[in-house]
Amino acid sequence: MRIVKLKKEYFHPFLDVISRQAELWAPVKKGDKHIFDRVEDFNRIEMKTTRTLLPPKKLLVPPAFNTFTFNAEGYQEDLSHVSSKILFGIHPCDIHGLLTLDKLFMHEYTDPYYVKARQKTLILGLSCWPDEYCFAKSTRTHIIDEGFDLFFTDLEDFFLVWVGSSQGDDLLRMKPDLFEETLSDSDIQRYIRWQTERDKAYRTEINFMAMPDLMELKYKAPFWEEAGRACLACGSCSMVCPTCNCYNVLDKLALGGKPGRRLRLWDSCTLVEYSEVAGGENFREHKADRLRLWYTHKLQAYVSKYGKPSCVGCGRCLVTCPVEINVRTISKALEGEDPKAFWYRLPSEVKP
Amino acid sequence: MKKDKLKIGIYELTGCAGDALLILDCEDELINIFHAADIRSFLMAKSDNIDGELDVALVEGSVSTERDLQELLDIRKRSKVLVAIGLCATAGGNQAAFLDPREWEDNLKKVYGRTEMTHTKPLQSKPLNAYVKVDHYLPGCPIDREQFLSTLTRLLAGHPPELHRFPVCVECKWRENDCLLNRGILCLGPLTAAGCRAVCPSHNLPCVGCWGPAEEANYTAEYQLLMEKGFDREMILRKMSTFSGTAIADFAARIRGVKK
Ligand code: SF4
Ligand code: SF4
Ligand code: SF4
Ligand code: SF4
Repeated sequence: MRIVKLKKEYFHPFLDVISRQAELWAPVKKGDKHIFDRVEDFNRIEMKTTRTLLPPKKLLVPPAFNTFTFNAEGYQEDLSHVSSKILFGIHPCDIHGLLTLDKLFMHEYTDPYYVKARQKTLILGLSCWPDEYCFAKSTRTHIIDEGFDLFFTDLEDFFLVWVGSSQGDDLLRMKPDLFEETLSDSDIQRYIRWQTERDKAYRTEINFMAMPDLMELKYKAPFWEEAGRACLACGSCSMVCPTCNCYNVLDKLALGGKPGRRLRLWDSCTLVEYSEVAGGENFREHKADRLRLWYTHKLQAYVSKYGKPSCVGCGRCLVTCPVEINVRTISKALEGEDPKAFWYRLPSEVKP
Repeated sequence: MKKDKLKIGIYELTGCAGDALLILDCEDELINIFHAADIRSFLMAKSDNIDGELDVALVEGSVSTERDLQELLDIRKRSKVLVAIGLCATAGGNQAAFLDPREWEDNLKKVYGRTEMTHTKPLQSKPLNAYVKVDHYLPGCPIDREQFLSTLTRLLAGHPPELHRFPVCVECKWRENDCLLNRGILCLGPLTAAGCRAVCPSHNLPCVGCWGPAEEANYTAEYQLLMEKGFDREMILRKMSTFSGTAIADFAARIRGVKK
């Protein structure tokens, strides 16, 4: 893979050229957190962020969008969420998240809404530094060697830029004089040092190797019931997870001869309606069963099919679930530890 | 008028009439509504109301008097499908927030002094399903235009309405808000039925629960969580009860240790 160098002062001029090609989306501030947003003013771009509130999946399959309009004569596809986009600032774990969605939506059963949006999206990755909630090193998703068009490693006064695709190469060619092809030894040393330091910066570790077996062995462990009692069934964990991909479909009819719409909405297996079938039977009436399904998918089932967990270690469930049901606490509970999480304290404190 | 149009009646029991008003406020769709359905009764909109057999009755308000109750029983008898619209009808509304029957009686005396009413007997406020079978629930205080229209159009097409069965948090996440609850603010989103597009948290205001209880509202977990975050117990209960109607009665009684 080709690696070139870009001096910091050339970064905005580069964005200036490429953003004439397509919409530029990048992390910006929302309160004291970050979100991916369309940017025209490059000074809004936040270069040193951790996870955004929602992962970049929101740009490929929006949380709630219309798939087609229909009337008695037929239907018309609505692809208004598809546009040429350049996504800058995607961290390795989130690129792995997109690769997971690719597996689910682009192979066995192709999903036109995803595929069309994905084909028009260029991924410009950016290196990051972990906080106490990141554990991408444990999922081996803190490094990335596919799934991007360009990848920027930020080494303070310059970037090293990995060229991951011919489309990425095309972007460089739009302004080739901004990039240096030859790296000095000290540049290389600087990168290696940075890489080693970053590797040591991961403070949260989870033993994913043990998880498939533990899911099997602890399938009936009482902690599932306890977590189920504490779960608010709020769906937040799935909404923020870069690999959660389930959706619901809802028909909206209209009056006065106007066409109806078929909406597609993000869904979650932690919600009551998810496993309900015609006739009102619900296969997972209890929240404990739903949580067990969520974690089976993340820690076990995906591993047996694709050889790795479907958790990419982004830490979003850790910072999002109000009652601390997340990959860290569940994996501790699976390992037989008392995670001191909210739901472990709950039973003792429920006294009228 | 075509014969096969659904016969619909819109009724108001004890409430603020906000839901009927919302329907009337669908101005650009009103003609379409009246075209698509045979609106037999709608007191706020017209004077030639007929109280006969109905395909669908939309009923707003809670049952708070003997007269409400008689009217509701009559509507139920005449209607194939009964839809509770608005918080008062679906959950009992604010007026159902006095939970303990004795507390309610004391309050009635305190407020009205003499409690023998001349025209009807006051009852402790309750949602429709305390007395009759309710087929569908359209929550909101008041109901939301978009949800009302999608409910109505589906009923007109002969399908059951499909409303969100999850709490406000899901829509809140769709709008990529930074969770207020996680920032130590008392937000009732996890306990509250979705449908408002999380309008309050999207403006940095906590949800106070006006859409009424979510299907799986986990009062215990949210109460414990708020206690841990240092909120006052009575304050939590007061906030939780404001829009929960009778749904929170058992929980509140358990927490307060009140014998029912
Ligand atoms: S399970 Fe949690 S940490 Fe893993 S990818 Fe999903 S949100 Fe991120
Ligand atoms: S595990 Fe947490 S985030 Fe997920 S549904 Fe339950 S309470 Fe919500
Ligand atoms: S801000 Fe309120 S409604 Fe939004 S996710 Fe948090 S608890 Fe739920
Ligand atoms: S109080 Fe809650 S349910 Fe009511 S409008 Fe605001 S966010 Fe929606």
